Amino acid sequence: MSNKKTRYFVAVMGAILAVGLGTGLVASYMGLPVSVFSSAAGPEELQYVPADAAVVAYANVREVMSSQFRQRFKDIEPSENDKNEFEEKTGLNLEQDVDSIVAAVMPKDGMANNPAGSFLILARARYQASRLEALAIEHGGQVSEYNGKRLIAVHDDDANDPTPDEMAFGFLEADLVGFGSIETVKAAIDARASNRNIVSNNDMMKLVNEIDNANAWAVGKFDAIASKVGLPNEIASAMPAISWFSAAGHVNGGISGSFKAEAKDEATAKNLRDIMGGFLAMAKMQAANKPGMQQLADSLVISGEGNTVALAFSIPSEVLDVLEALAKGRTPQLQQ
Amino acid sequence: MTGDATPLPAFRRMSFVNASRRVFDLSLGEMLWSRRTIFMALIVGGPVLLALIVKVIESFGMAALRVNNQRMAGFSIFGVIIWALFLRFIVPVLGVFYGTALMADEVEDKTITYLFTRPVPRGAVLVGKFLAYLACTFLVVLPSVMVVYFLLVPLSQVPATFGKLLIDLGLLALGLAAYGGVFSLVGSFFKRPLVIGLIFAFGWEQVVMLIPGSLKQFTIAYYLQGLVPHAMPSEGVTSILQGLFQQNPPAWVCLAWLFAFLGGFLYLATRVVEKKEYILEQ
Repeated sequence: MSNKKTRYFVAVMGAILAVGLGTGLVASYMGLPVSVFSSAAGPEELQYVPADAAVVAYANVREVMSSQFRQRFKDIEPSENDKNEFEEKTGLNLEQDVDSIVAAVMPKDGMANNPAGSFLILARARYQASRLEALAIEHGGQVSEYNGKRLIAVHDDDANDPTPDEMAFGFLEADLVGFGSIETVKAAIDARASNRNIVSNNDMMKLVNEIDNANAWAVGKFDAIASKVGLPNEIASAMPAISWFSAAGHVNGGISGSFKAEAKDEATAKNLRDIMGGFLAMAKMQAANKPGMQQLADSLVISGEGNTVALAFSIPSEVLDVLEALAKGRTPQLQQ
Repeated sequence: MTGDATPLPAFRRMSFVNASRRVFDLSLGEMLWSRRTIFMALIVGGPVLLALIVKVIESFGMAALRVNNQRMAGFSIFGVIIWALFLRFIVPVLGVFYGTALMADEVEDKTITYLFTRPVPRGAVLVGKFLAYLACTFLVVLPSVMVVYFLLVPLSQVPATFGKLLIDLGLLALGLAAYGGVFSLVGSFFKRPLVIGLIFAFGWEQVVMLIPGSLKQFTIAYYLQGLVPHAMPSEGVTSILQGLFQQNPPAWVCLAWLFAFLGGFLYLATRVVEKKEYILEQ
């Protein structure tokens, strides 16, 4: 090559290409964990969710509880007396003390008959640990330690359950409690300690990464759940071949959200889009001339490309006002 | 004066391959450090800058791009950049500016005489310059695509999308080569090659792609778009019309035609260079 400058240029550009290709190849064939170069998406609690979880859901309880949307439903909530009784026993004010909840499902055989054994719930809140522990012991709970974390196990004495699970809760952190079967709570502790948790599951984290501006969401591997819940063959064969799904919502004055599914192939996805399009058209026809309902139907948008199908919706607070008025038998006045 | 006349040293004519290599060597440096490269760096820097802005916005937890109230994932944004910026604009524009200039610049600068008086096959001059064009554009375009990819796509999505990146890189390289082949013929044959090249790339190709029928088979864009692994962005009337009339031919047909464009037009261009009498304007 003619001169030094050209040689340097070729070397630098070639190096950029080589580094990019090398990184891509290593990531593709060896599966670099997400945390290598970037901070993981989603809440910190995901580090306690075992890597084999098929569904993970999250709710920012504090935001939802303080939303205007929730204020509309205060009338139908338990009475103050019931709430005070719960608070007295547990020392936990659901409205003020709970920050967030993460739920995960680890599918296993026989899950349909014994769903409790497959669930893990992680609740971040301000707990009075001694009070909760005392309450559990009072109800026959047994305290033990597992990898430095306190576990309180309660035997399920249900005579109808042939495979009873020992339910447990454990203080994973001062403000984080894990609740589920004793196996799932132990698996949560192991997942955090060994760093082999859902954060290292690239497929799942890809879905979590895509969620934006949502205070409640769920992502999961649909086929893994469908195969374990023991659906009748007729139903299982009629269900669309969906591999992954994600649902996300934002609750504030109104509600907005989206549901996204990844079908096994493009043809299935196209069929799903067509079916949903048909239902949407029917809903829009039914909602015509009904204030509120029409705006609700108009906010539904179907999209997607290739293997994906997505449905987005948005219900502004004005529409909820109208729906509330309709429910109470008043004449709605829709703001323009 | 008597005596034996000393014979003039016989110039051995270089082989076509060796001559092409020598011309390539000479042209690569010239091409890389020409003013045209600044232009190329600017248009290729655009997508990198855009990706950087997206990265900064996303690092603050905001969505850089939303479609139907849904956040667009990094790889989808990358797909849009490949479609809208690289395939529809950067590749044709580089093909036009560099391809038409391969011979036209030498004619304009009146330096073609020096090249043609060397003991090298005339066609090798074009082939050597064409290879230098390929090296020059590959070295600028492909690394910039790589940088855009790693800026936009989170590492967690690399395993699922890396294959598509490789297809994109191959496609862009093939596009640059096919456009370069076509415009090298235009540059060798016509007197105002740049105007004709621009009319072809941004007039003929754009219009014909919107018209139903078989005319689009006489464009390079038709075969390139048939190979793109990303969904066509559906914003804008042009895209919607293209989407309506788009019937992608099979991948092997696209590849065969793109290689045919490259080989056929490059061969014709070398024939033109070998036969044509270039008249230098005084």
